[in-house]
Amino acid sequence: MRFMPKSIALISALACAGVAQAADIKIGIAEALTGGAAQYGVAIRNGFQLAADEINAKGGINGNKIALVIEDEQAKKEEGINVFKKLIFQDKVLMIFGPTLSNSFFAAGPVANAAKTVVFGTSVTANGITDIGPYTFRNSVMESDVLPITVATATKHYKLQKVAVIYGNDDAFTKSGYDVFKKVLEEQKLPVTTTETYVKGDVDFKAQLTKIKGSNPDAIVCSCLAEEAANIMLQARGLGIKAPFIGGNGFNSPKLFEISKLAGEGTFVGSPWSNTNPAPANKAFVAAYQQKFGSEPNQFAAQGYDALHIAAAALKDVKLSGDIAADREALKNALPKATINGATGPFKFRPAQTKTGKPGGWDADQKPFIYIVKGGKFTLYDSK
Amino acid sequence: MEWFNDFWSTYSTLVFSVGVHALLALSIWLTLSCGLLSLANAAFMGIGAYVSALLTLQLGWSFPLVLLTGGIAPAVVALLIGAPVLRLSGVYLAMATLAFGEVVRITVLNLEITGGPEGLNGIPLETEGWHIAALLALTIYGLARLRRSKVGRAFEAIKEDEVAARLMGINVDRYKLLAFTLGSFIAGVAGALNAHFTFFISPREYGFEAAVDILTMAVLGGISSLIGPLLGSSIITLLPELLRSLHDYRSFVNGAVLVLVVLFLPKGLWDPRRFRKWFGKAKGAEA
Repeated sequence: MRFMPKSIALISALACAGVAQAADIKIGIAEALTGGAAQYGVAIRNGFQLAADEINAKGGINGNKIALVIEDEQAKKEEGINVFKKLIFQDKVLMIFGPTLSNSFFAAGPVANAAKTVVFGTSVTANGITDIGPYTFRNSVMESDVLPITVATATKHYKLQKVAVIYGNDDAFTKSGYDVFKKVLEEQKLPVTTTETYVKGDVDFKAQLTKIKGSNPDAIVCSCLAEEAANIMLQARGLGIKAPFIGGNGFNSPKLFEISKLAGEGTFVGSPWSNTNPAPANKAFVAAYQQKFGSEPNQFAAQGYDALHIAAAALKDVKLSGDIAADREALKNALPKATINGATGPFKFRPAQTKTGKPGGWDADQKPFIYIVKGGKFTLYDSK
Repeated sequence: MEWFNDFWSTYSTLVFSVGVHALLALSIWLTLSCGLLSLANAAFMGIGAYVSALLTLQLGWSFPLVLLTGGIAPAVVALLIGAPVLRLSGVYLAMATLAFGEVVRITVLNLEITGGPEGLNGIPLETEGWHIAALLALTIYGLARLRRSKVGRAFEAIKEDEVAARLMGINVDRYKLLAFTLGSFIAGVAGALNAHFTFFISPREYGFEAAVDILTMAVLGGISSLIGPLLGSSIITLLPELLRSLHDYRSFVNGAVLVLVVLFLPKGLWDPRRFRKWFGKAKGAEA
């Protein structure tokens, strides 16, 4: 193995370069920057970088600059644990943001919680994430907070009597979305005509849609990712189904309407963030993001951006002692009180309801935005 | 000592992974040593992981018992499917075992008790370093003894020439089933160990990708002896971590290293025959 000495030299050189940039407040960012979830992870990282630059440009937090230690967790569970341990025990970061997907969080979260280090998810919506322990936080709004409002708004708007449901049953995200939809529809006493399923990668949904058409629903509830949702919409219109769609978080992608064109007209979607929200904090975020990265921000970038501002708000009240264990504990105690008015609107934490009754972490207490699709674009729904 | 504590708190999971991957590589080495290209080991690992995790979560069994059952459950499945599947050979066996892996994955996806696509979370941390070390040592010792025994010779004979082995009076079908079942037992134990230090399992960890990874570990190290799989699994596990500081180029360099090894050392890293050749040359130069 002749190439080994060279690569070792390269590795040590890079490691030294990492050490050289000593900083005041070290914050770990563990996101999926490569692999299947990279589309989310990279946007989240951009959001963090933007927020860190802003905070540092204004002189940091009580004079202390923020230094981000960014690691790639590849959305794999072992990788997530390894990265968390490196950030906690070697880089000795004050807190960690991430990982990108819920499965990595379920594996890596307990590591941070056991090490008494705050772990803050920005994109993990699964149930039970904050059951892990008191050091777990998230500002990702759960489907169970968004969907009741989406369904209620759509029911009122379209005067729905009965709906059909379609979802992907082999994907953690779409399956858990369906579970929430099911509960919401039961609670809001909206009868379901038929429930159809597909698996990831399917391109032909005509069989399911024909059955749905036969049951004659007023709307189609769809817990799907954008790629499949676009096909479902196009094929539904092809079969002559006129009913509008109601979607979950998976619909929150501009790609959906690039593919489906006008087939998705009238679709209702709920989202924690709105591109067109005219609040000054959001306008400033969108403009700054476009200037720095030359592309449109998305929901994931906005949540990352807000998350760092939430931590910064908490850190303002924390007197850093330099003893990392004490500082981590102080941050954990200060964080639940933090509130901001950010790109995703007013934000505060609420204690998680754990299944076991043991004290858990902290979930987001935030109102979602409800969109209706008009002319192939997300438009904020106006109830008037 | 403080240095060691620092190292251990950062890298204990990585060391655990090396041990578990070594067990997996040995499990596929066992079937390869009998001339069977079986790709079902990831599925067996998954069965072991799910059975053990469910026993811990639902019934609260003690860990040694959980580990044992984690091995027995896939072994029983291997016994059942072995008889028909092992009539195939070569790529046909690889295809059939891959299909079996998909069947297991889709079954787990659709069951209620396994949590479906969302997997199982909140599995308690039960695996300790010495569990893995002891089981790995036991496996290596057992396999080393097996190689030198009548059974090991029979495996070797079947691998070299199945027809000749049959003519020599070796019960080929039985020995194949034995290798297949023993391999599944080891893979199942590895899965059980893994589930109890990663807190979370989901069906996608035991799919096609994992099956190929396990095969790569054994083939990269070389399958002519027991050292090969151990070496291969260590490298596959440690290399990405060693390359972490390369950031964006990490996956690229990792892949390039694997390609170079396969190109220039097609029999794997640990190839005694090559070493002998080198050694022989050196002696020749001296003379």
